[in-house]
Amino acid sequence: MVDISSDVSSRVIEPQTAVARRPMLAMDEVSKRFGSLEVLRNISLSVSAGEVVVVIGPSGSGKTTLLRCINMLEDYEKGIVVIDGEPIGYRPGATPDQRQRMSEREIAAAREHIGMVFQSYNLFPHMTVLHNVTAAPIRVKGVPRARAEERARELLAMVGLSDKMAEYPARLSGGQQQRVAIARALAMDPKIMLFDEVTSALDPELVGEVLAAMQELARAGMTMVVVTHEMSFARDIADRIVFMDGGVIVEQGKPDQLLFSPTTERVRAFLRRYNDRYRI
Amino acid sequence: MIFDPNFIARLIPALIEGAEVTVELAILTFVICLVWGLVLALANSAQGPSSWIAGIYIQAVRNTPLLIQMYIIYFGFSMIGFGLSGFNSGLLALCIQNGGYVAEIYRGGLQSVSPRQYEAGRALGMRRSTLYRIVIIPQVVARIIPPMINQAISITKDTSQVAAIAVMDVMKVAQVWVESSANTYDVFLGVAVVYLVLTSAVSIAGRLFEHKLAFAQ
Repeated sequence: MVDISSDVSSRVIEPQTAVARRPMLAMDEVSKRFGSLEVLRNISLSVSAGEVVVVIGPSGSGKTTLLRCINMLEDYEKGIVVIDGEPIGYRPGATPDQRQRMSEREIAAAREHIGMVFQSYNLFPHMTVLHNVTAAPIRVKGVPRARAEERARELLAMVGLSDKMAEYPARLSGGQQQRVAIARALAMDPKIMLFDEVTSALDPELVGEVLAAMQELARAGMTMVVVTHEMSFARDIADRIVFMDGGVIVEQGKPDQLLFSPTTERVRAFLRRYNDRYRI
Repeated sequence: MIFDPNFIARLIPALIEGAEVTVELAILTFVICLVWGLVLALANSAQGPSSWIAGIYIQAVRNTPLLIQMYIIYFGFSMIGFGLSGFNSGLLALCIQNGGYVAEIYRGGLQSVSPRQYEAGRALGMRRSTLYRIVIIPQVVARIIPPMINQAISITKDTSQVAAIAVMDVMKVAQVWVESSANTYDVFLGVAVVYLVLTSAVSIAGRLFEHKLAFAQ
């Protein structure tokens, strides 16, 4: 397996980002199986604060499962996940076998720091856009309503939806719904954002507006792990691209290196197929 | 003589008196079934023996006639020494059977909420109780109102079967008046009007409630 820490330190690092190199996400030897199928095999991945990591790979390679294990939406048989120094899901023991499962309450509390955006938006259909964004801050974090609404207005303005605050999700386009979902996740002031193929369900002409919102977020310094099939977007936004196949990280590196001079035949073959399909 | 005004003038107060019993039975049945049906639905959706016990109960009570259930309770209970009044036997039978139907309505409502809604709530750090209170239950409630209105209408009409165990509901009042007067049409048309008024009231009340809780889907 590729050693991640050396890869991270080999990045060109500006002097002021030395502080920001603190690891925001550390996955340590995570393994997950569905029945007899090994979906993740001993995955280790470290993401520094402010870093944008894009995960690519063929379908069934474990990308989405990887993301879902980070916030414990999916349980895993082995390994530890740590967000900004705090474990989520399992506490490490003396040996890897002695990890201890945290209580549901502790896991819920840890999830507050992890924003997630889903392929199918998953907005709450019975709440207005504004209510979708304020519900969790008010009910989970106990933020006073007035402050939560003020923050929601800022976030909805950021994703360009100030005029839709009173609408119900069913009245919005897919792209608008997905931007609300981004604002909803950001309203919890997460330390890291996870994006699970967030443009895959969208009409092609609506993809751009969602990607633009994500780009703005990346520019603002948010730590992000992005699973996507949009290669040009990956190239633009990623500090690092991780290629997964068969439940392992096959190769990772800076976008231009991985996309234009990959070192493994597996990545070359994937990119060849990708380019064949999307050539116009 | 059909549509005899004097007869109708005497009939109406009697029917209203019977209708009060009908309304009382229908409201009690519906309210009890809202709770009992939820208990059954939750038991049915849980793991373990409570699930199959609730499942067998629901199948059994929905697939036998209400009238038979009433007879079993009314005559059967008095045979084994603790007889219930006609009213209580009727109420019990109505609750036993409609509880099964209401449980199925709850189950349908719970199943109609996508697992993705649970994930979205959990991903935002919601605990189970918060998730149910603000995400799941409001959606379930909005979706089960139309079938619950149907059930309430069905219950209102079902109460007429308590006439068979000597409860003086509007149906039994009608039977008594038919036997004593032989004025069948006036009496049964009057009874039909009573049920129509009652079920319409249920419909209108339900519609208002539905409108209040509806959201664009």
